[in-house]
Amino acid sequence: MVDKVTPELNFSTILGCSVHDMKNSLGIIQNLVSQLAKDSRHSDNPQFGQLEFEANRMNNILMQLLVLYKIDLTRFSLNIDEYPVEDLLNEAVAQQEVLLALNSITIKVECQPDLYCYCDFNVITSALGTILNNAQRYAKQNILFSAKQHNQFMVLCIEDDGEGYPETFFYAQEKVQDQVNFNTGSTGLGLFFAQTIAAMHINDDERGATEIDNNSSLGGARFRLFLP
Amino acid sequence: MTFSLKAKKILVIDDFPGMRKSVREMLYTLDAFDINEVGSGIEAIAAMAKDHFDIVLCDYNLGAGKTGLQILEEVRVRKLLPFSAVFIMITAEQTPGMVLGAMENKPDEYLTKPFTTRQLLTRIERNIQRKIYLADIEREKEKQNWPAAIRLCESKLHSSQRKYHSHLQKLRAELAIATGDFKFARSIYDDVLKQRNLNWAQYGLGEICFLQGNYEQAVTILEQVVEQSPMMMEAYDCLARAYLAIEKKVEAEEILKTAIGLSPQAILRQQKLAGVAENNGNIEVANKAYQAAVELGKNSIHKSSADYSGLAKLHNKNNESEQALTVINAMREEFNNDTESELRAALIENSIFQGQGEAELVEQSYQRAKILFKHLQTVPKELQLEMAVICHKNNESELADQIVGNLIKNHIDDDAFMSEIKASQDDLGKAGESDMLINKTRKELVEINNKGVRLFKQGRLPEAVQLMERAREKMPANKTIILNFIKILLQDAKVSGVNKDKLLQIQQLMNQAMKLGTAPHKIGSIKMEYSRIIQAQKQGESNG
Repeated sequence: MVDKVTPELNFSTILGCSVHDMKNSLGIIQNLVSQLAKDSRHSDNPQFGQLEFEANRMNNILMQLLVLYKIDLTRFSLNIDEYPVEDLLNEAVAQQEVLLALNSITIKVECQPDLYCYCDFNVITSALGTILNNAQRYAKQNILFSAKQHNQFMVLCIEDDGEGYPETFFYAQEKVQDQVNFNTGSTGLGLFFAQTIAAMHINDDERGATEIDNNSSLGGARFRLFLP
Repeated sequence: MTFSLKAKKILVIDDFPGMRKSVREMLYTLDAFDINEVGSGIEAIAAMAKDHFDIVLCDYNLGAGKTGLQILEEVRVRKLLPFSAVFIMITAEQTPGMVLGAMENKPDEYLTKPFTTRQLLTRIERNIQRKIYLADIEREKEKQNWPAAIRLCESKLHSSQRKYHSHLQKLRAELAIATGDFKFARSIYDDVLKQRNLNWAQYGLGEICFLQGNYEQAVTILEQVVEQSPMMMEAYDCLARAYLAIEKKVEAEEILKTAIGLSPQAILRQQKLAGVAENNGNIEVANKAYQAAVELGKNSIHKSSADYSGLAKLHNKNNESEQALTVINAMREEFNNDTESELRAALIENSIFQGQGEAELVEQSYQRAKILFKHLQTVPKELQLEMAVICHKNNESELADQIVGNLIKNHIDDDAFMSEIKASQDDLGKAGESDMLINKTRKELVEINNKGVRLFKQGRLPEAVQLMERAREKMPANKTIILNFIKILLQDAKVSGVNKDKLLQIQQLMNQAMKLGTAPHKIGSIKMEYSRIIQAQKQGESNG
């Protein structure tokens, strides 16, 4: 059931072990920063917000690394149940609250309250949170976060009014793994994570997926997550 | 935002003052003002025993003392929170929530650090709404008032609130299982599975097979559940029980070991593994599990003197009498003046001193054990058997036989325990006698039951009642006899009407069945029948 980990040193094992430590250190940093911000006379300095945000982002990346590492070891499994789609969107937005306030970008959530879908709540909201995070970096002013049912799939859509994805992103779409291009920062990892997690959502013959294009109704990038 | 925490009484549990402060700051921005903080499990329990909280935010890792899980266990066992209260466990990382879970205690939700104010609010809001919506059902469920719980659940299921439909289906199926209505529970799970392959519905089907005694099928289903959802801990526990029921003891031990590898904090599972491994002769595994249970027990509501005595017995078996005595002393310290643990101590000391040839100490500990045995109100059956063995070793075979005889009569339908009795009597070279008594008692029980069923079917209820009354004199604590007796009394009440005495007798028998550890679903099903009869009676009265 669970593959035995070979004791020999390989990079993924080292990474897996160190992610835990990194996350712990980061947690302490995050606490210290917010502590310092509260005690400081310059608590309204936006740099505190920036610090908190960057730490948050790092934490998200580490968490995704950990999940991917566990998937690699086949130690990871989804915990699927039915959830109101509205709850998913609100949770992803809530995760990004700090950045929202910081960048004064308006995010509009569009979702009928009677939409439901089957998924692993934690990993899906984390994946969506990261994509939202990216969208906020590239958006000029507005983000539209919406959901609608399409045939057998629940489609969760994040659109922005930025410059759109660079051309190179689309070539890599077929071979997702190549997309983890470290030059693009966490954008690549975030997309890879979302793609991997989506594909683990299976219902009968249907499999979850992600798609990116520049057909945003706001003129910028569009990310879509399809859940069966 | 319309939702406010203004009127909510909140408890924050965290050992870091800094963390408590930052959670408090968050809560203040959400209009909360009744915020209480504690830094340890003991303080948390004391606070919840004193006041009714609406929201508890508990850090999982609290340094020394109780963990968040141990607090939750105690909260659930001692019922320290109202049904509408929300318990949120805060964890340091994205550990699959369920791994942290004990056997039957789960928080309402997990929240991973770090989190934003808005995340905290949405979690609280979502859970409070649900808990308030389901509180009346949960309240009746807790009281084991099944008819009321089912009525409430049904009426909510038929209202159009889609949001909680899945929760209600799950709850309704659990209520059906609790009342032995397996057919209905199965139909719910099948319906759910038609929509989607969800692990809780699969697990439900496995549990039903287990409860119905289809152990092979239960194993097949649960093996699949564990394979697909390796984090669903309750599936491991049920699978282990199913393995044991079909004598796959090695498999049972292995699956418990796997579960403990994933979730080492669950004391009940450690206790189970200790017993299974000891039975399999895997002393090392048993030793480790007993030690883990003893350690976890120090901060747990589930601590048990049986863990100490189990560990001490293992040491004694390995001729490590010094260590055995050390464990016994630790037990005495942990369970001050507790009769049951004193009895356990006396019995083990007796064997230790026998081994050392200390005649005077042997006699002293034996006399003490006899007094304690007499004074103890209810002695667990395994402990009774232990007592019988010691009696025999102290040359009081008559007393030993008397105890074994009672055990056989009262637990004749418990196959696993009968093999335990056989094994222990075999060690004493008395296998023949106990075999004879077991076979004789079994035959007697079968005869009584057959006769009872025959009379029942022929409608000769007064005779059936008499038969069961006589049978109860012979085997006063036999679960099968009591259950069948209740069924006959219920049928009698249905046919010839109820009166105060009859109802009182039924209720007393139900209480006894419960005390003897009859399977909950069997009692649940009787309770349903009982309430139907009362209902019919009331209607009859108002009509007539």
